[in-house]
Amino acid sequence: MTSTRNMVLTLLIVAIVCSVILSFVYSYTEPLIAETQNQMTLDGLKQVINAQEFVEIIPDTLWRAVDSSGMLTGIVFRVFPQGYGGPIPITVGLDLDGKVTGVRVASAAEGLKETPGLGVKITEPEFKDQFIGKCGPAVQLKNDGGEIDAITAATISSRAVCNGVKKGIETYLNYLEKPLDKKCVFSGAQEFVEIIKDTLWYALKDADTVGIVFIGITQGFVDCIKFMVGVGTDAKINGVKILYSNETEGIGEVIREEEFLDKFKQGYPETITGATVSSQALIDAIKDYITRYKEYLK
Amino acid sequence: MNKWNLFTRGLVKENAVLVLMIGLCPALAVSSTVRDAFGMGLAATFVLLFSNVIISIMRKKIPNEVRIPVFILIISTFVTIIDYVMQAFQPDLYRALGVFVPLIVVNCMILGRAEAFASKNSIINSMLDGLGVGLGFTLALTVMGAVREILGNGTFLGMAIFGEGFKKSPVIFMILPPGAFLVIGVLKALINKYVKKEIQ
Repeated sequence: MTSTRNMVLTLLIVAIVCSVILSFVYSYTEPLIAETQNQMTLDGLKQVINAQEFVEIIPDTLWRAVDSSGMLTGIVFRVFPQGYGGPIPITVGLDLDGKVTGVRVASAAEGLKETPGLGVKITEPEFKDQFIGKCGPAVQLKNDGGEIDAITAATISSRAVCNGVKKGIETYLNYLEKPLDKKCVFSGAQEFVEIIKDTLWYALKDADTVGIVFIGITQGFVDCIKFMVGVGTDAKINGVKILYSNETEGIGEVIREEEFLDKFKQGYPETITGATVSSQALIDAIKDYITRYKEYLK
Repeated sequence: MNKWNLFTRGLVKENAVLVLMIGLCPALAVSSTVRDAFGMGLAATFVLLFSNVIISIMRKKIPNEVRIPVFILIISTFVTIIDYVMQAFQPDLYRALGVFVPLIVVNCMILGRAEAFASKNSIINSMLDGLGVGLGFTLALTVMGAVREILGNGTFLGMAIFGEGFKKSPVIFMILPPGAFLVIGVLKALINKYVKKEIQ
């Protein structure tokens, strides 16, 4: 029996000592790790746009770039289009005119899975600097009607970068103007009064409250879905807009389509076949939020 | 066996990767550049050295039945330490090595030395043994990394060493997985021809 006790005691003591040592090492390195990671993110952002500071709008996805005097100089966003070997992490900077100021493709060490020697060439300046100064439809391969030269023997990777940059521009371009145009979900209102910062507003028409506008977030199939909804005092939905989603391309992403979003005006729509999780998540979330904000509608 | 022999034994004659053929998984996976290979080698050496020393200190107190769990606990503690430290001070290297840092825990080279040597020998001897085996591992990985990076990318430690022409179309396949097998095979053949004879 002594030997059993001995075994248990030895293991216990070793485990406790190890945990104590590790907790010390962790508490010492944890702030350092966080700082290095911040610095790396910041360095990555500075490579694509000339700015002093970055204000995060969507975590790890979208930043507002601000110069030393506090003026908005543009936005930076990250996209992950599907390449040949896996998603390609790309950081893109846009100036106030919506033109690309720089593109940065993560290196293999940062998780790029393209073929070494071929697809990896998308990280080289010769390719990615072609994007600088371009906007909208020009961001496409020459074969597809744009102005970007594909890399020989790496067309799939080159096209993926173009598509990612193009889609990112389309998605985030509206952040360059007014932060959020609440009129697009509540066309009948003239003014909006903030009730909860960046979350909830009263919609006013002729100084009367006609409804509310709120921003909500829910978990979709892949990533979170951020949306804005306008609701009238009669509890009817005036409009829904998806601010952020990163669902499966061609499947879950149909929740962004006007056709689906417009159905909310006539009551809650049915889920979309093939995108049940994404659409159900959105519908449930909107219901929840309206219940939560019911008192503001009175 | 004198102390010097203890240290040099692991370097070439009983090199973990090229002679004993253990620890092959990280050797093949992270030897595509000199920096990654060297960093991996040093990380493993650190773990090997300290786990050998601690296990040797505790060798008379550990009951025989639970020795393996205790060894694993000690080894994984050092692996976690190197994991945190590398993440804080060498983030680029950490990202390049990826999952192979935590996988040092199950590197049979390290558990093997703990079981076969450190649990039976004095502290000084275990230290020399750990250092020798660890540096032998580092040496093997670095040589593989150098050959693969120079031929496959035209660079050494990231510096270009050949002309522009080579940089445009290097022997890409050397930095792909097949290159690792080719290089390890050739190195093994060379070791067999020039070193193994002396041992026999």
